[in-house]
Amino acid sequence: MANFRYAPSSLRRAEAFALSVAFSALPSAPGSLAASNWAIDPTRTHIAFAVDAVAYPKTHGEFRQFEGTIVIDLEHPAKSHVAFHVQSASVDVGSSSFNDYLRSQALLDASRFPTIDFSSTSVEKLDDHRVRLTGDLTLLGVTHPLDVDVDVERRPGGGRARFEFTAKTTINRLEFGMNSGFPVISRDVELVISSEAAES
Amino acid sequence: MTLASEKPAERWSAAVVVLHWIGAALILGLLELGWFMVHAETDAARRFDLYQLHKSLGFLALAVLSVRLAARWATRAPAQPSSMPRWERRAASLAHGGLYAASLFAILSGWFVVSAAVVAIPTRFFDLVVVPDLPGVGPAQFDAAATSHLVAVWLLAGVIALHIAAAVKHRFVDRDGVWSRMARWPGRG
Repeated sequence: MANFRYAPSSLRRAEAFALSVAFSALPSAPGSLAASNWAIDPTRTHIAFAVDAVAYPKTHGEFRQFEGTIVIDLEHPAKSHVAFHVQSASVDVGSSSFNDYLRSQALLDASRFPTIDFSSTSVEKLDDHRVRLTGDLTLLGVTHPLDVDVDVERRPGGGRARFEFTAKTTINRLEFGMNSGFPVISRDVELVISSEAAES
Repeated sequence: MTLASEKPAERWSAAVVVLHWIGAALILGLLELGWFMVHAETDAARRFDLYQLHKSLGFLALAVLSVRLAARWATRAPAQPSSMPRWERRAASLAHGGLYAASLFAILSGWFVVSAAVVAIPTRFFDLVVVPDLPGVGPAQFDAAATSHLVAVWLLAGVIALHIAAAVKHRFVDRDGVWSRMARWPGRG
């Protein structure tokens, strides 16, 4: 099992960022993740979301600051663990006043609940390209179970091997007590988390 | 103060002229922006900013209108030309009153919409100060608020169209000086 820690010294937009990733080989995956060091590429990691509203364009945004750990060992699932700690104040939808509204007490209440946390409780291999994470999501201090299927793809191209991870899921914000604006603002929030790791 | 013994002014006071044109620009801008922000294909962030700008400009228009009404009250209005038939003079007075009333109705109904919105986004007046919502207003009144704003805005647009048509008639048909006492920079011949 390869294990390593990535701690870039300087990042765009002065993001606080610390990620670590570890893999065991996905034995049957094409170009399997061999037992070597893999670095998550912070510039290619996005924690994005989308929310619908009545008579309003779909709002797309992402969280710019987070910490994450990805340890996947399919031979020893108990050793696998994925965790993300997202700074709720780092929400960015492309408008500073819209960001302020999202950070406010009405929605993310970032001063009271500075992080949104996901921590896996189990990791299951579905096939050569997919794993299922089962875990807990904590938002506004409320914890609910969340299952996420993660696509794992090798990126074509020469040089160092790179793998892409994409996870899509939908959460019901009302379950976490985020009721403001409902039903004009949709109950469902789509989450799209993508990341890329390269052999270092 | 208008005193009965004083002769009517030759032209509008400088304050009224300047506030008329600032108010005109604001109100036409608000009508255009209101239409655009609702109907244009924009992304969510841009639309959010347009709505916030519309709210800030609306409250600026309220401030300008308040000062203008005070200036209108405190200064003498020019007499209407004696060449105007009686009914026209009466219609002009009614239309001017209608412009003030419809402007105020449009702005206050906008405040009503903001206060009743289900998605309660605070009104930050140009990011300087938060304008409070109208007291006692909630989402239950949103439909009434939205309808009243729409009615007010179309009413205002109608009175503005009439006002512009009348001004153009004074300029090109009547040539009675009514146009130039508002359309020329105050103080110039």
